[in-house]
Amino acid sequence: MDSGTEFQDAVYKYLNPLYNYALVLARQDAEDLLQESIARAWEAFHRFDRSQSFKPWIFTIMRNVQIDRLRRRRLQPSEEPLGYQKEAEPVVSLENPLCSIPLAPEDILLRRETVEQVREAIRHLPPLLREIVELRDIEGLSYREIATIVSRPVGTVMSRLYRGRNLLRTYLVEPRERPGEKEIGVRNDGL
Amino acid sequence: MDCSTAKSKLFPYVDGELTPELRDQLEAHLARCGTCRRLVDLEVAFRETYVDRLRPDPAPEPVREQVVTLLRELGQGRRASRRQRQLKRLVVCVGAAFLVAVGLSAGIALQSYVGTRTTLAELAIAAVEQHQKLVRDLLPPDIKNVSPKVAEEWFKKRLAFNVSLPDLRTERLHFLGGRISHLREVEVAALEYQVDGNNVSLFIIPEDAYRQLRLKDKPRFKVVSHRGYDVVIWRSQGAGYTLVSEIGDRACLMCHAPEEKLEPLPRPSAHL
Repeated sequence: MDSGTEFQDAVYKYLNPLYNYALVLARQDAEDLLQESIARAWEAFHRFDRSQSFKPWIFTIMRNVQIDRLRRRRLQPSEEPLGYQKEAEPVVSLENPLCSIPLAPEDILLRRETVEQVREAIRHLPPLLREIVELRDIEGLSYREIATIVSRPVGTVMSRLYRGRNLLRTYLVEPRERPGEKEIGVRNDGL
Repeated sequence: MDCSTAKSKLFPYVDGELTPELRDQLEAHLARCGTCRRLVDLEVAFRETYVDRLRPDPAPEPVREQVVTLLRELGQGRRASRRQRQLKRLVVCVGAAFLVAVGLSAGIALQSYVGTRTTLAELAIAAVEQHQKLVRDLLPPDIKNVSPKVAEEWFKKRLAFNVSLPDLRTERLHFLGGRISHLREVEVAALEYQVDGNNVSLFIIPEDAYRQLRLKDKPRFKVVSHRGYDVVIWRSQGAGYTLVSEIGDRACLMCHAPEEKLEPLPRPSAHL
């Protein structure tokens, strides 16, 4: 199989995850981001290490493409394609644990939410937390792969995942806590 | 391990991300703590009920069609580049044989000629590919609905070379917008225009990149034909310019008023 066919097969295989991640990074501009990312990945495919997984590799490219797009538009170098305001994040590692989990999923299980309701609640998470929850719980990537994609330490990934999952459970138990579409709309993804 | 530590490791444990040593410690705790074991069971049930069934949002059919089109175009571009490389190898081999036959000085001249042609061809192919993507909205503009002067200022703040946009000298010419793009991995200003309703792309490239083409000074305008497009390449005001159109000499309206008498563009030096 030549590299062109190999690349096309991989893109078709992961098209839904790619589109989904483009929606996470640039909801209103997802289609353009998808196209530009595929074109950029095509140019770089000869450098792709076949011992690695294709999905995190092209996700990393997509995130970098989005950073470049925002940089061009804003003239403000940023490493956060979601425009999320930086805040102090707890330092977490397997050796420095977080506090105990505040929300057991029992209540959620008893409420018999549908999968689509859970999916919708994930869409309402703050952008950076949503990104990590999507990459882990929907795309099934490892902590290390996610850390590579978002250029952050594994501890930061664990922290965001922890906060994202707990906030998700808050939304499911108390839907009123969920921010509305309008609030999500001002997430300032730069577009 | 106490309950607090065990709870803090619940997510990475269910995710399968704990080191074997920590996993063994946690499982030893779970074996003797019913409360924590129940938390793990609930978390696993939550995953099985919801998380494992979550799927990414599917790409809509129009998006799939766009991707199919893009991949086909990218493939065609690579095949064209491969043909160019094969042609280059062939020409270089012939040139090498010629070197032996006629001597070192003639050989060096030939190699220079071959190298120039090939690099020019690669630029022309890349420019045509970009032009097609711009026309089909596969590459959205970074800036649009502004005057060329405003766009020029926008680019000057972002690109480290002299970006000078031509004035609109006729109503037949319309500036649509522009974006920062890449031609052969060189950052360029990509500008979209319409002349008499025909799409024309103008790429302004850094002078260094233009010099690497190693083009002769004359003729001033180098013309290459590729896939039905005329690609005109020249240097001006400290930058290189690459114009892609399907309208031949009429594309000169980009920089010249209709009443100006101009020499016709030279015939294409290559059909790719």
